[in-house]
Amino acid sequence: MAKNQVAVKKKRNINNIAYLFVLPFVIVFLVFNVYPVLRTLYLSFTNYRGFGDAVWSGIDNYIRVLTDKFFWRSLWNTIKMWSLNIVLQLGIAFLLTIVFSDVKYRMRGLGVFRAVFYLPNLISATSVAFLFKTLLDWKYGSFNQMLLSIGIIDEQINWLGSSATAPWVISVIQTWMWFGNSFIMLMAGVQGISRDYFEAAAIDGAGRWTTFGKITLPLIRPIMLYVFITSLIGGLQLFDLPFLINGISGGTAGNPSGTLQTSVMYLYKFGFETNQVGYASAIAYTLFAIILIVSIIQFKTLGREDD
Amino acid sequence: MKLKKLISAMLVGTMVLSMTACGSESATDSTTETNSDAATTEEAAASDEATATGDDKLVVWTLAADLQQFADKYMEANPNVTIETVVIEPANYVTKVQTALNGGQTEPDIIVGEPQMLEDFYDAGYFEDLNQAPYNAQDYADQIVDYVWEVGQDSEGIQRAISYQITPAGIYYRRDIATEVFGTDDPEEIGKLFADYDTILETAQTLKDAGYRIFASDAEINYFSGDSAWVIDGTLNVDQGRYDYMDLCIELYQNDLTAYANQWSTPWYQAMAGEVPILTAEVQSYADDSVNVWDAEQFAEATADMDTTTVFAFGLPSWGVLTMRDNVQETSGKWGVCSGPSYGFGGGTFIGISSQSERKELAWDFLQFCTLNEDTANWWIEVSQGDTVSLIPVLEAHAEDANEIYGGQQLYKFWLEQAKGIDYSKVTRYDKAIGDAWANAITAIKQGEKTKDEAIQGFYDEVESTYPEITVNR
Amino acid sequence: MAKTWYNIKKGALYVALIALGLVCLLPFLMMIVNATRSGVEITRSFTLIPSTHLKENWVALFDYVNLFQGFWNSIKVAVPATILTAYFSAITAYAMAVYKFKGNGLLFKVIVVFMMIPGQLSLIGFYNLCQKLHMVNTYIPLIIPAIAAPGTVFFLRQYVQSALPKALLEAARIDGASEIHIFHKIVLPIMSPGIATMAIGAFIGNWNNYLVPLILLNSPEKMTLPVMISTLNAATDLQKNQGAIYLGVAISVVPILIVFCFCSKYIISSISAGSVKE
Repeated sequence: MAKNQVAVKKKRNINNIAYLFVLPFVIVFLVFNVYPVLRTLYLSFTNYRGFGDAVWSGIDNYIRVLTDKFFWRSLWNTIKMWSLNIVLQLGIAFLLTIVFSDVKYRMRGLGVFRAVFYLPNLISATSVAFLFKTLLDWKYGSFNQMLLSIGIIDEQINWLGSSATAPWVISVIQTWMWFGNSFIMLMAGVQGISRDYFEAAAIDGAGRWTTFGKITLPLIRPIMLYVFITSLIGGLQLFDLPFLINGISGGTAGNPSGTLQTSVMYLYKFGFETNQVGYASAIAYTLFAIILIVSIIQFKTLGREDD
Repeated sequence: MKLKKLISAMLVGTMVLSMTACGSESATDSTTETNSDAATTEEAAASDEATATGDDKLVVWTLAADLQQFADKYMEANPNVTIETVVIEPANYVTKVQTALNGGQTEPDIIVGEPQMLEDFYDAGYFEDLNQAPYNAQDYADQIVDYVWEVGQDSEGIQRAISYQITPAGIYYRRDIATEVFGTDDPEEIGKLFADYDTILETAQTLKDAGYRIFASDAEINYFSGDSAWVIDGTLNVDQGRYDYMDLCIELYQNDLTAYANQWSTPWYQAMAGEVPILTAEVQSYADDSVNVWDAEQFAEATADMDTTTVFAFGLPSWGVLTMRDNVQETSGKWGVCSGPSYGFGGGTFIGISSQSERKELAWDFLQFCTLNEDTANWWIEVSQGDTVSLIPVLEAHAEDANEIYGGQQLYKFWLEQAKGIDYSKVTRYDKAIGDAWANAITAIKQGEKTKDEAIQGFYDEVESTYPEITVNR
Repeated sequence: MAKTWYNIKKGALYVALIALGLVCLLPFLMMIVNATRSGVEITRSFTLIPSTHLKENWVALFDYVNLFQGFWNSIKVAVPATILTAYFSAITAYAMAVYKFKGNGLLFKVIVVFMMIPGQLSLIGFYNLCQKLHMVNTYIPLIIPAIAAPGTVFFLRQYVQSALPKALLEAARIDGASEIHIFHKIVLPIMSPGIATMAIGAFIGNWNNYLVPLILLNSPEKMTLPVMISTLNAATDLQKNQGAIYLGVAISVVPILIVFCFCSKYIISSISAGSVKE
């Protein structure tokens, strides 16, 4: 109790130092993050084409986004690919976290596995796209060849060329690229927990699942919130992989029925391919609004204690 | 404590690092310590000075590595000139040029563009007017192949850019297969087999019956498709040629007439060198023998007599000569080139002077050297091992050159002929987006995901939503 | 019996983990193998058997770009940027998680909101800004903005909340330690697993950063590694250069691996080290 009284006395001073601590961040943030974003916001109300003058056009661009069925289609495509991806990615990451944090099995080699699981993330998206295009080629790919030979399928499947399979294949590749990353985050969270908690639990005779459910999960909830939010943000901004998968092909091969076009690809089409920067900015902000709404819902359900 | 040591060590490391960094280059990192504004302006001034004094320096931004070689050659002849060639990846080239020039940068001095980029570049005013003095480009009009000259003009007919190469499209075919199946390998005769879309289908069937496939992919005729521009006077224009092309793609695909490779994919390149192993449904019979796929030997045995197929032809622009050169392997000497169902072209690097350049005279000299100089053109034909230049006198001088990969065919004569038929007005800024939408429609139909009518309506919708300014008459 | 069952289950877990690991190694192997193959070989077939063109690829790569210069340039950008991100994110996150001050809640909301804006488009505004500040063709806009990394701050704030016992701070204050001292001596070590995790990500991000340096750097001698390697993609020699591109990418991954191993050590395994007995 005596401790607390001293702390209260010094409290004002103590808390003021926080301003100093966050100052460098805030200054740089205002200059390099906020300014460019506000400039984009301004452009979204103009008909800027990437060159020449930006002429004010009011909310025309936003009306156009809301009534553009291809924008909504691209959003739906993104959500479809993201939803399978998030389930698989976080599912695998969670399983791995449970396995490696299990006090009974005491799995060894965490360092090695962690590094290996992270590897797919180190290779550029271009190489990943090339690899999978080659492996999953319809009539020439090794994957179909293997499936045919062991008799799992009777006829080769056009994995990346048919709208029934392509989005799901992208989800799986995306999972493969990112599960190691989620695993590292969750594991770092678990490792940050003081071992006293686990010792106390062991003394109380708590079993593996009780320990996990009663101690680990609640304590890493802030980290889980982070992992969820970033996967959501990253997932809804999905771009590289579908862009490259359907870009390299050329001719009439790629993008079956437009099912691989994600929202950010749609944005890119206007911002960089057809010089409608004003419209692209409006798409960016609409997308942002949607992500914001979904995140708020996630915050409300996951981060109750968090402001 | 260990961590603290580590962090302080790293911080010291950064300091040293950034100091050496600024020592070697400029006053970059002193900004963190001293007044940042003063330091940056100082630095900017320093770099401005450096560029201003360098009257014999030239900065070239390009997406084709060719220009690097041109620059080296130019510097050989003009030792007092330094050319800084910045090669930029094609995918982001336009973004880089736009951000720099919109920002009013005086460098680069030379910029290039491919045909589909040019219209926007002209509108944005990036290119210097080459018709005015001292350039007087119009004096050179009759030396350059017509269509190339015209692509280099903006909508008012002012010359803005010139290309050193022409890129007419042709059909590259296997002479040995032609002789076996059609009794002749004469380009004139084989060209007749590709004269129109119905004939191509017949040719495809004949080849399939003989155990070959006409094309590797079903997009080989793309360069020849369409008899007119996608957009005329602000209205979407889908001519009969586009529909014929659509029908052809669908027929080729649904009747199993191609080798199902995607353009630019691994098997597509492979097909240039001969037989390719294609997976067909018949392979399933192996499943019953329960082949052990993990046993490499057994697996190889089982798949050894998997169906293979040999591809007869590829549709590519004249730069395809170089692609084929690298890939034909044992089939070298067995190829020929003939004309397609119409005239077409693809790609090409057009060089112009940035309107914001401060070294326009030198830039013009370099531009002339690259595009209008016969010695350079002769040199380029030699070092590129077969690229097709745009200077008419040089093309004529090389007309009789025999190319051994193509059974000694005189390719330059052929390309010059093809180039004469090209209608440049077909190129618009809308081509990429509309072409992609059309390709998507074709894919949806051929795979049975949409009916033809649905797909075409979907195509109209997509064009409308991409370019609200275009009138679509359904 | 129970022991055998335990061993079987443990063995099965290892088999599953190794299988997953192999799947992750595949692209890496492919990249290294492709670095030894010629461009024509790469585009014509797929294999994991090395070929003999390593030397030619090396020559082609170095003919084309000054890779060591690019390496050095990338280090000059990535190392300071990573350190700035790690340090300033940690101190910002700590301040936000521990102190009560006006605007704290707002700052957190703004940070999260800014993570949600698609990055592709702020590029234009960012370039305009750099131009006004005369920073085009310098490394400043690639390094200084690293001080403000919203995602990292967000993560570390969450991390402090779950990993830092407040009693520890109180105790230190009783001992009369200053706030900055507490941060450096007590908080940083406790945060190190989180910081190391984020530093890996930040280093990889900076090392592979492509679009921003591409747009901002104009002189070839200032280009960073990914920008240099991408020039091998120039239209004309695209296919011929494939092998050299893979070699370049393979070489450029090496520093990432080093940083990875280095940082991994600092993600201290508190669980396995002090784990409870069975």
